[in-house]
Amino acid sequence: MVKRVREEDDGLDESHSKRPKPSEADRLSRLSDELTLRVLSYLPVAQLVVCQRLSHKYQALAGDNQLWKQQYYERFVRPRANRLPGVRDEGPTDESIRMASKASRWLGDEHLVKRGIKTNWKRQYKLRHNWTRGSAVVSEIPVAEEASIPPVLVQMHEGVIYMADTDGLRAWSAKGERKMVAQISYELSTAASPPTALAIDPQTNNETSRITVGFDSGAFSVYVLDQARARFHHRYNHAASSNGVISATAISWPYVVTMTATQLLSLYHFDQPLEGQHSNDILAPPRLLHSLKSSTIWPPLSTSLRAAETCITISVAYALPTYLSGWTVGLQEVKVSCVGDLIESRLASAIGQHYRPLAFSVPPLMQHLSPPNATTSTTSTSVELRHIHSKPTSLSYTHPYLLVSHPDNTLTLYLVTSTADSLSISAGSTLWGHTSSVSGAHVGDRGKAVSVSTRGDELRLWELEGGFGSSAAKKRLAGVDLSVRIRPESRPNGTKKSTAVDLGLVNQALSARSTGSCATEQRLDDASELTLTRGWVGFDEENVVVLKEQSQGRQALVVYDFT
Amino acid sequence: MSAEGEQSVKLVSSDNVEILTERKIAERSMLIKNMIEDLGAPGEEPIPIMNVSEAVLRKVLEWCTQHKNDPAPTQDDDADSRKKTTDIEEWDQKFMQVDQEMLFEIILAANYMDIKALLDVGCKTVANMIKGKSPEEIRKTFNIQNDFTPEEEEQIRRENEWAEDR
Repeated sequence: MVKRVREEDDGLDESHSKRPKPSEADRLSRLSDELTLRVLSYLPVAQLVVCQRLSHKYQALAGDNQLWKQQYYERFVRPRANRLPGVRDEGPTDESIRMASKASRWLGDEHLVKRGIKTNWKRQYKLRHNWTRGSAVVSEIPVAEEASIPPVLVQMHEGVIYMADTDGLRAWSAKGERKMVAQISYELSTAASPPTALAIDPQTNNETSRITVGFDSGAFSVYVLDQARARFHHRYNHAASSNGVISATAISWPYVVTMTATQLLSLYHFDQPLEGQHSNDILAPPRLLHSLKSSTIWPPLSTSLRAAETCITISVAYALPTYLSGWTVGLQEVKVSCVGDLIESRLASAIGQHYRPLAFSVPPLMQHLSPPNATTSTTSTSVELRHIHSKPTSLSYTHPYLLVSHPDNTLTLYLVTSTADSLSISAGSTLWGHTSSVSGAHVGDRGKAVSVSTRGDELRLWELEGGFGSSAAKKRLAGVDLSVRIRPESRPNGTKKSTAVDLGLVNQALSARSTGSCATEQRLDDASELTLTRGWVGFDEENVVVLKEQSQGRQALVVYDFT
Repeated sequence: MSAEGEQSVKLVSSDNVEILTERKIAERSMLIKNMIEDLGAPGEEPIPIMNVSEAVLRKVLEWCTQHKNDPAPTQDDDADSRKKTTDIEEWDQKFMQVDQEMLFEIILAANYMDIKALLDVGCKTVANMIKGKSPEEIRKTFNIQNDFTPEEEEQIRRENEWAEDR
């Protein structure tokens, strides 16, 4: 009843105020805003933006947040519901995958629809649109004039780019003006030794982030970045050790894990809280909770650390050489209790334990030259050979996705299943698309991945969600729409200027820092053949960042901005 | 029950014209359906449709007659569960081939009388009139006053360039 009464009122207003006007009047405007929105809801995005140009009234109406929310849902959320096997199988999906108020499921985009959060849906739509089309505005942050050995380490977390090189630790903001947030030199004791590993605590909140840096000497340090005050604080320094170079590290406060080149895994626990103390105090040394020696793990590798109430899980994903037939991947999961007892250690690799190829019926490398044959059933030989690959150039693991890049222009995706009683890795799926050697790849938790070629001239975005187990996914794999190449775009004139200004600021900041003269001949669309990437690539919701090295050794972070 | 559908009801338009129609046809309108249920004794008392003129009411009833046997609209549907296509079935397309004045009258009447399916057809028809047109063409079609300066309009165009081609 209530609803009807309201509609009656609407009707009355409309007819009394508008009806007497002559027919030459603005007829569309006779409709109430509610009805106009109903009309607009039938229009595609391309037409909505045309309607925004009609007049102030239609600019507001066609920019309506609910309208764009619906467009976002229809284009980016609903199609995924059909793609994810788990969702599709859950009963009467027709109800649940509609946007209809309460029943709708946002499938990983829940953070956008949380109560109290005001999302600008048109902006969000544009962001996703640009991701799917690979269109981004490119800008560069020069980081070093000369090549540094070992290479600069880079990590990206929540819009901040962290960089460690021989000079110290630096943080850049990936958003807005891309200015340096903070920098710090290493403590004297470690200053002589170059950094070899860098990790950011994924638990970081907006105020402070915790960082570990591993060094060539076997030492490691803990830093805290206070974003509000734009300062790094050095909190702990672990003395150099005879175990050798730290090749990987991970932090999930109060735990830190390090992995040395001699394949010694160490887990530390800090008893002192970071908070509630003077921010420059050096923490008491941590307890070594556990250490493990492995003889099967090869670089490149990726470590991660998950701390739960009762136990800590350390995952190490690594490259694994097989007899005669190239490389595959392995994963070790170690569970340690809070007091340091080893609860469980388990291993999995993409190849079955008993698999030993006797002869090459097909040379494995040729596999990559043949087109993906996803629909026909393959013989057992070729199924097995499919997981044989050349040595990986990089490896990225974000559960359940394990993505490996190869020098033979391909990437391989493995899906990891980790449950209470089993750990397994699926057979790899080869991803085609690159036309030159792939030097780096990074996969995020929703299956979005970015890969970059060695020359740095080809950047690809992948939607790997759901893997390739289902037949529908195989169809997608056979199709060409799996990845999209990032197309650098120059901004329209008005905004291009501001980009140039941003870069100018970065340059100023940089020349203030370094004594040498700053290179000013950078061009936004510089796709020099001589440019090389060292393989580091990272991304967040809005940006992709690639570390590029140019022929003279000048290094720069290239930021692809999708907003 | 079947007798109930064949009962006739008397509707009165805003310009005081009485129109006799089948109850089943009239009940395509949720407004009328609810009124009949509230009044209890259909056919005796004429039902006033205050905001709809005779010409429009007859047109609306023509649509209701055509669609009187359609399945009842589902209750759960809110705006989002509608199909997002602007496809209109053939009979409705012909029905909507009226002048703009009448088209908007029908939409307003369908909204007032709470006939969701007809409202959708009307809105889709208007959407189809917008589709594929430039801003200037749309303004011409509906007599919309452009209150932007050329610079403002250009600014909006630039901001939305990303969405233009798909």
